[in-house]
Amino acid sequence: MTDIHRRTFLKTTALAGLKTAALASAGAALHATPSSAPALSIAHYKSSPTAPDGIAEEARRLTRSAIDSLGGMSRFVSRGNVVWVKPNIGWDRMPEQAATTNPDVVSTIVHLCYEAGAKRVLVSDNSCNSAQRSFARSGIQEAAEKAGAQVFFLDERKFRRMAMNGRVLREWELYQDAVEADRLINVAIVKHHGLCKATLGMKNLMGLAGGARNRFHQDLDSSLVDIAAFLKPRLTVLDAVRVLTANGPVGGNLADVKRKDTIVAGVDQVAVDAFGATLLGHKPEDIGYVVQGAARGLGTMNYQSLSPRLTEV
Amino acid sequence: MWKPLSEWMAGFARPPKEARLGIERRTVLAAGIAGLSGGLLFRIQPLASKRTFNPALIRPPGALAESDFLSKCIRCGECMKVCPDNAIHPAGLDGGIEGAWTPVMRMSVGYCEYECNLCSQVCPTHAIRELTVEEKQKVHIGLAYFDKNRCLPWAYSRSCIVCEEHCPTPKKAIWFEEAEVLNASGEKVTVKQPRVDADLCIGCGICENKCPVRGQAAVRVTSVGETRNPENQMLLPDAYGG
Amino acid sequence: MARKRKTYKTHWLVWLRRAVQSVFLVFFLWLFLNTTFFPINTTRGPVKFFFQIDPLVALNSWIASHTFVRAMSLSLVTLVATFLFGRWFCGWICPFGTVHNFFTSLRGGRTKQRLEVGGYSPWQRIRYLMLTAFVGAALLGSNVVGWLDPFSFFFRSLATAVYPALNAGTVALFTWIYDANPGIGPARLTSISEPIYAQLRQHLLAVAQPYYTGGVLIGVVFVVVIALNFFRARFWCRYICPLGALLGVVGKNPLVRLHVDTSQCNNCRVCLVNCQGGANPQKAAAWMPSECFFCANCISDCPWNYVSLTTILSRNKVEEKAHVETTV
Repeated sequence: MTDIHRRTFLKTTALAGLKTAALASAGAALHATPSSAPALSIAHYKSSPTAPDGIAEEARRLTRSAIDSLGGMSRFVSRGNVVWVKPNIGWDRMPEQAATTNPDVVSTIVHLCYEAGAKRVLVSDNSCNSAQRSFARSGIQEAAEKAGAQVFFLDERKFRRMAMNGRVLREWELYQDAVEADRLINVAIVKHHGLCKATLGMKNLMGLAGGARNRFHQDLDSSLVDIAAFLKPRLTVLDAVRVLTANGPVGGNLADVKRKDTIVAGVDQVAVDAFGATLLGHKPEDIGYVVQGAARGLGTMNYQSLSPRLTEV
Repeated sequence: MWKPLSEWMAGFARPPKEARLGIERRTVLAAGIAGLSGGLLFRIQPLASKRTFNPALIRPPGALAESDFLSKCIRCGECMKVCPDNAIHPAGLDGGIEGAWTPVMRMSVGYCEYECNLCSQVCPTHAIRELTVEEKQKVHIGLAYFDKNRCLPWAYSRSCIVCEEHCPTPKKAIWFEEAEVLNASGEKVTVKQPRVDADLCIGCGICENKCPVRGQAAVRVTSVGETRNPENQMLLPDAYGG
Repeated sequence: MARKRKTYKTHWLVWLRRAVQSVFLVFFLWLFLNTTFFPINTTRGPVKFFFQIDPLVALNSWIASHTFVRAMSLSLVTLVATFLFGRWFCGWICPFGTVHNFFTSLRGGRTKQRLEVGGYSPWQRIRYLMLTAFVGAALLGSNVVGWLDPFSFFFRSLATAVYPALNAGTVALFTWIYDANPGIGPARLTSISEPIYAQLRQHLLAVAQPYYTGGVLIGVVFVVVIALNFFRARFWCRYICPLGALLGVVGKNPLVRLHVDTSQCNNCRVCLVNCQGGANPQKAAAWMPSECFFCANCISDCPWNYVSLTTILSRNKVEEKAHVETTV
């Protein structure tokens, strides 16, 4: 069962070209150049538990494994840092509906930050639906607070117009505390999107923008790359434990939710998104903002060239 | 002890001077007739007929049919306070004078949250009858329509579909057709032009609320198609696989 | 022989009444603030409580819609209690009444002026006529009594006007402090104001500023109604409130009565100065149970303790009926 599962996973994620023999033993990592620090890691769960506790456990272990494969959180968070963890808390939905980031992924990231010596971890988002409801029903408020993070609703006063000098966004309102935090960690969920085909890491950063965000869609690709280039998160994590394959980014039909049992983490947000696109069956070149991000020097679309570490948990 | 009690009870048959309210029966009758007249006058408004409807009179999901609603709503404002997205407002003359300060949805200010049923929980007189979230998700409170003269992909050859992005129904009630159009510079561009799926749309209004076209949104909700008023319909059911 | 004049001390009934009024007002406001989404798709607390004990709404909705909501049978308790004991509801429980009580107590003016407006006025009969009109409309299915039901009026005004305005004002104040960042040297006002603001946001302020169309009109009407207390004491309660009218009708012959020692009373009319309901306590035979809130101010104010509460069970003879004066 495990082998079939793994093989299907490899096929659909276009890693088929990589050596599969090295995956024979559990927990084995794939090394291309042992000396360089890894830029991209992919953690995959061998099974697909159905019980809520099992899924929570899976999310926690996958997240830890993905970060550990990159060299541990201390590579990204230093002692005494103020860290802003940016999950997707955009929608008034439950975790099973895969519209918001898995709460256990978020809580694990918060734990890892504190373990690395962070002074304060802030968790928030500019929700599209009612913030009160979205924070509560997504489970992220409770999970993050339990992990010791400061969870709060955004304060209108702290959106400040910032000069971004982007291609379409010369200046835009961004949340001051997020920009001024020592570290920014992007924790997005992988979903279908009607306009840009897939919402991955870079799209998630829209949640730190204020003002009339509903205008971005007139040139969504450029807007997203502008924001991503300005904010440059230290670490981008993609939650693909559950993915939304249709009717995104809000979803609602449980039949559209598929289990991919994967977490992706990396420093190159373009490469992370390029790989994330394959989880929904797209090619990286199909996603407009991935192509533009690569073209503008934000990262590389060719995630294989980064020698991603693949871990089976 | 019985003497005072019997005196007390006799006081209801023939009240002592201080227990009298001092209002002549005539005056009371006149007041009653005034009230009845008011009630009668409310019935002559076209809105009281079963054919005329105000497109802006969108009531919260679970609201009873209009005449029943007006006979139960006590204009208390509980629903207005509880609505998480500030969608419910005190009506002006939207429902006629009789409907003053009854709850009406204003999608330009707020929208009806898909997974919420709070207004039906707090209505003290059940003018908004209690619904489970699943029941509420099947109630149509109206129907959205596109104003193609204002919608960015239709009128300005610009890409958008924020409406489709936010549509909460499990199968989205907004779908789009990819069209090749000319932009102002004469170049051919492909835009996604949105349309409403009339069977799926429940009139929640998030599309109108999030539409970037300010002032008057390019997609708006009107009350037609509301489940509570069987006469306020426009679709032939089952005609297109609905 | 006249009793010795007492030194002025507020009667314990008055203190008790104020305590009970405060409890119910705070309870009402607490329920108001908790009429909001609270974690899993529910409100916190019995937010409909005051509407469920309100017999006016129960009665009128029943007449207008021919259906009765079971939860509203609690209002029978109010009706029966008023029938037996009088309009204690208005004086002790009604939170809107407490608000009017408070603003009435802010009135200045010399005792003579207050004497002139403290007594019963025949205009108080208007609210009975309004109640009748509302019932008439309800007979034809129109439940418009909600416009003037005290809880509807109070809640609606709070929800659509008062709370949004207070919220906006508070946010504006703290935003100004945050933006202007005043201070002396390294000491900044924001080090005090920001923690306060955080607490306010968490417990009292709205997550998102609410806006309501028509809120200005509702707010203005509310302010006018409150301001009328400076014209006549407890204006709403005496002249407008249809619930007060209903309770007045039901409670016009209660078991509990006011007792005045007429053999000693020298007609100083001090008891009249702070009478809330306009019930004519200064003339025992003219005391009007349908207007009395049992606020106990007359009991407390009488310098010689001639005024007290009694029940009809201990009433021995019919008091000598003095010539009834009609005051203003």
